[in-house]
Amino acid sequence: MLDFILRRSDLRRSLNLKMIMYIVLAVMLAISLFPFLVTLITSLKDVSEVYTSPPTWIPVKSTFKNYREVFERYPMARYFLNSFIIAIGATLLNAAFSIPAAYATARLRFRGKKFFMYLLLMVQMFSPIIIIIALFRQMSIFGLLNSYLGLILVNAVFTLSFSIWMLSAYFLNVPFEVEEAAMIDGCNRFQAIVKILIPLAMPGLTATMIYTFITAWNEFVFALTFTTTPEMRPLTVGLYSFVGRWSVQWQYITTASILGIVPIVLLFMLVEKQLMSGLMGGAIKG
Amino acid sequence: MIAYALLFPAIAFLILFMFYPVVNVIVMSFFTLDMLGRFKAFLGIGNYQLLFGDVKFWEILTRTVVWTVVGVLVKTVVGMIYALLLNIKFKGRKIARTLLIIPWAAPVPISAILFLWVYNYDFGLLNHTLRLIGISNPPLWLAYTKTAFIAALYVDIWIGIPFMAVVFLAGLQAIPDELYDAAAIDGAGVFNKLRYITLPLIRPVLIVATLLSAFWTFNDFSVIWILTRGGPIDTTDILITWIYKNYFVYYKPAIAAAAGTVTFVILLVFSLLYARFYFKEE
Repeated sequence: MLDFILRRSDLRRSLNLKMIMYIVLAVMLAISLFPFLVTLITSLKDVSEVYTSPPTWIPVKSTFKNYREVFERYPMARYFLNSFIIAIGATLLNAAFSIPAAYATARLRFRGKKFFMYLLLMVQMFSPIIIIIALFRQMSIFGLLNSYLGLILVNAVFTLSFSIWMLSAYFLNVPFEVEEAAMIDGCNRFQAIVKILIPLAMPGLTATMIYTFITAWNEFVFALTFTTTPEMRPLTVGLYSFVGRWSVQWQYITTASILGIVPIVLLFMLVEKQLMSGLMGGAIKG
Repeated sequence: MIAYALLFPAIAFLILFMFYPVVNVIVMSFFTLDMLGRFKAFLGIGNYQLLFGDVKFWEILTRTVVWTVVGVLVKTVVGMIYALLLNIKFKGRKIARTLLIIPWAAPVPISAILFLWVYNYDFGLLNHTLRLIGISNPPLWLAYTKTAFIAALYVDIWIGIPFMAVVFLAGLQAIPDELYDAAAIDGAGVFNKLRYITLPLIRPVLIVATLLSAFWTFNDFSVIWILTRGGPIDTTDILITWIYKNYFVYYKPAIAAAAGTVTFVILLVFSLLYARFYFKEE
């Protein structure tokens, strides 16, 4: 009876099982999406309706005015700008470091390559919290506290090992013969990389960069610790600072959250499959 | 030679921002430090004696183990249920998969902030729903030790399920139908098929995913920090938040460094295992 689970056959045979399957899945998804639903509903409510007990499921009079007011009352534009500067900076810096390194690991032979790859994989499991207790003093000595550069550097480095790892795999997928042919035709190595390899590995490179961007955008603990003034805060920490106040204005926080979540979720959907195979290595093929 | 030149920038920055701080933390743990974490004098294992002699440390270590084990277990089981359901061919399967991964895709700190609203006692829709289904006196979720821990763990689990589901699904879909057909001809029932085909074939996926998930769960700082800051009175702290607190809130950098070193060693074991299984199948 349960055979349909193991075989990817369809459920033509049993209407009852199909109904059960739909119901179970619907309930699970509903529970899972509950917080986002609540957020969306709250962001569309008028203040007076946000703080009514018992709360309402459907806004009596739905309004988009929170979406305008949140920019007027809070430095939202600044938070978005900060997040954007940090994430873009980290992504570019990360690419500048990881492309050459990934090229070396994919195309060149050198002593200690295996060790290097192994090390990269392990570095992914370094905890930011442990590092931060020494890094904080280091950053203050370098004068990098409360600066874009400091957060850009830290975010770029913390995504570096994973980027090198992913890119190396994408470069390996491009046949070396194509570059060789170009080099025989008079390209030097640099031209072969820029004109042949990078365009051919573009989908992988894009995915890796998008993932770096998302990670830097979502980062919390470094930004929390290394920013000291409100105007340097990225969105994650900026939103968190609303919450710490005496009167929390949930109609604005939920609105800001929707604006912060939607673009990132859409970007994430683009790279989710590549991310998964990068994380799982040999355990998942293809 | 070119290879080393190309690797140099990456390696230099990894050393400067990752390896050096880690070594620094380990060294710090053997010194007495002032309130700002500056070195004062060599101490030897004194910080560790203090740490291991502290009942609180053992409490928090135990809580971290419970947090991680329960978290990973629930994520694995629910993720597997999702994967099995989505492995069936039905209309809307793609949409379901897309909806499923939203909690994974959304920025974790923002999700955690939203749960503060969900858990709100008076105006939160969670308690409203609970009252509707007959629980007239729902808890002040984040104010009490037990409920706060459960509430925080729930958020961590909620974020972690989609990854497990998606990875298991990929594992299930890599199993060719022919194997099941052949087993059916040999007279195997569902449970035998599960036992002899499905489980052995998704074992590598299961191991790597579980290790990754354990690492993420163990390291989940932002959910706890945003929801409770480890409170009330440190009762929802896990190692990671407690280390941070010792350094930045209680100004006890030496204890933070000692606990940090212990945590580093624990994570090193995770990472060695991960690297081993990551390469194993290639």
